[in-house]
Amino acid sequence: MDFEVTYTEEQQRFRREVRTWLEANVSAEVQRTPTSAEDNYRRYLELRALGRKLGAKGWLYPTAPAKYGGGGLDVDHAIILEEEVDRFDLSLPPYYDSGGRLGSASILVWGTEEQRQAFLPPIYRGEVRTWQLLTEPGAGSDLAGVRMTTAVRDGDEYVIKGQKIFVGSDNGTDRIWLIACTDPNGRRHENLSWFMIDANLPGISMQPMELMGTGGEGGTDSGVKQTVFFDDVRVPAVALVGGENKGWTVATTHLELEHGGGGRIGRNRVWDRLLRYCQETKRDGVPLSQQQDVRDSLADIYIKTEVTRLFGLRNFWLTYARKPKSYEGPQLSYYRKTTGLWMTGAILEAVGPAALTTDPTWGSSAGFLETQQRNGIVSVHPGGTTDIQRVQMARRIGIGRSTREKAGTVHGAET
Amino acid sequence: MDLALTESQEMLRSTARSFMEREAPVDVIVGLQKVESSLAPDLWKKAARLGWLGIVIPTEYGGSGDRLSDAAVLYEELGRGPLPGPFFSSGVLGALTVLEGATEEQRRRILPAVASGERVLTVAITEPNTSWGPAGITLAAQGRNGSYVLNGTKLFVADATSASDLVVAVRTGDAPTDVSLLHVDAKARGVTARRLPGFVSWQCEVAFDNVQVPASALLGEAQRGWAALARALERALPLLCAYIVGGCQAVYEKSVAYTQSRVQFGVPIGRFQRVQDHVIRLVNHLDSARWATWEALWKLDGGRPAAASVHMAKAVASEAYLEACNAAHEVHAGMGVLVEYGLAAHTQMSRTLFHYLGDPRWHKRRMADALEW
Repeated sequence: MDFEVTYTEEQQRFRREVRTWLEANVSAEVQRTPTSAEDNYRRYLELRALGRKLGAKGWLYPTAPAKYGGGGLDVDHAIILEEEVDRFDLSLPPYYDSGGRLGSASILVWGTEEQRQAFLPPIYRGEVRTWQLLTEPGAGSDLAGVRMTTAVRDGDEYVIKGQKIFVGSDNGTDRIWLIACTDPNGRRHENLSWFMIDANLPGISMQPMELMGTGGEGGTDSGVKQTVFFDDVRVPAVALVGGENKGWTVATTHLELEHGGGGRIGRNRVWDRLLRYCQETKRDGVPLSQQQDVRDSLADIYIKTEVTRLFGLRNFWLTYARKPKSYEGPQLSYYRKTTGLWMTGAILEAVGPAALTTDPTWGSSAGFLETQQRNGIVSVHPGGTTDIQRVQMARRIGIGRSTREKAGTVHGAET
Repeated sequence: MDLALTESQEMLRSTARSFMEREAPVDVIVGLQKVESSLAPDLWKKAARLGWLGIVIPTEYGGSGDRLSDAAVLYEELGRGPLPGPFFSSGVLGALTVLEGATEEQRRRILPAVASGERVLTVAITEPNTSWGPAGITLAAQGRNGSYVLNGTKLFVADATSASDLVVAVRTGDAPTDVSLLHVDAKARGVTARRLPGFVSWQCEVAFDNVQVPASALLGEAQRGWAALARALERALPLLCAYIVGGCQAVYEKSVAYTQSRVQFGVPIGRFQRVQDHVIRLVNHLDSARWATWEALWKLDGGRPAAASVHMAKAVASEAYLEACNAAHEVHAGMGVLVEYGLAAHTQMSRTLFHYLGDPRWHKRRMADALEW
């Protein structure tokens, strides 16, 4: 086994190139915690501008096929890019782009050639940001129960009507990756379809939902979500991806990736800061990190973040080495979510009430611990609850149903 | 990056698995549980012929000098039994302690016989204080006329009732790490080994009553024993973890199969989400132990700093085995506590290895030290 990428001389040169470029193009301000809604929007625009620059170099979606505007790079180069942007506390893309990540992967597997050429380049080049729209008031964990948002064929168009909730982040979106009911009388799993549509069409309106999380454009976590209303929105029929009423098949790819099947590499940003805080903060004249009870708590926290990292690394490798997967995707998701939730208590116990305040004098630096206190809880539900992850695991282990369920394809051609 | 086993590792795995299925099925494992000595002579000889007893011993000392990650594949398979016997005590911890601590002449004298299975080593570390650190070594080796005299007790010594040779950590000075290693004949006058009774697998008491040990029994140099032992432990622990991973894997497979075949309320019990939760808890522990262990092995084989990873692996694996067995008992209910079913052998082993060579709390603290927090 080899847990590390061994870099060739060419790859090391690539790392230097990336680092030099990022140092020249990522401003220190972009890493700030926004101070107001206006500042949050300004920061979002800066991140989008950075995304377009990265996209122009093929570095926004590094492993995506070059013929559709992606980087066409191999996994080793992608890891280098991920590691280098991680040094700036950023990910690829550097803003919330769930519909871009999951929609583009689904279109690669299930879209027509025409759709790939139309939809993928703007995503890969950072020209558009895309939100995914799945959840409805009556269909959360039961995604197959989507009914409220309907799409009815009318000539060369579909007419979309209904409502989606827990969508996106703040600052708006350019595109929408949507699952809707295309046959209200159809059988379960045979009545849904996916659409990639323009977010600025007449009849689409949004209303913010305030969540107890923080962060706004904080990568995959977001403290602001939207309710999106569709009032007889007319979209071209070519927006339908994967065939009418084939939405559940397309969803297997989307959900496999959303449930952790793609894996993750990179350090845990909470851990580094937590340790530094404990080393720099004294209680009774002694640094927290030198007190046995705190050290014991830190050891437990560290081990769980390490195991999460190892599961992410394993899934990353399984995906890019095109190895068969079973329960590993939802396992990573389940472990990461339950660890985050558990960690809220563990951190509160280790560092005390300073974890709860963003006060510049009395809280932790830049309020990062307070952020974890909120987001560790908020993150339990997006992309499938912890219970749904366990249902998935059980089916794939082969005990939940009479036949073992297979993992969804993320390439269209796993070995 | 490549997290797959190599082709030769896959071959070793397949050989070891057929060996276990043929030589050590559940009824054999269950039958061995109550014997005083963990060493089953027939199994031992066959394992020796396969080269398994010298798998980590360098070729110049009669072993095959395999990488730790290759040996780990074997130990995972042995752990599936869990196969009793001083495989780890002699072939891994014993051999590596001699390798790290002994003089060249001593290595040449001792190790080939360990690789061939003629000598069986075990390392006696902890005492009635059950500490796994250097300060816990209190058994004094008093020098007298160029030899040593031992009086006292070593406790929780693995497989001592099947050992021919003991490596005994003794106190030879006042500083905490003033520890030396003595190579003592297990049959010497005054040495008594006794398997401890109860819910513990082949952990022994070794009593020393005026045992005369010649000066030549000192392995390497005086006061260097703890450093040698620490180096040996760093390399040996991940193989004990691999044995534990194999145990967790077997317990997981048993549990999955049982949920598929046991019918209650008209359906296989795996349909019940409460039952599924036990299996999921189990597989999460199994995979935590597996990947923590394999990353530590990879670091050691590549000469990378590995201390923190090794401590983490032992902490995670110890907890995983105990929790995996707990989950399996919740799945199996009455069937799981029938001795003949075989789960109980794992459960007892999981408790035994929980503390052996340091429990999770101990290793987490050493991990924090190694990470220099």
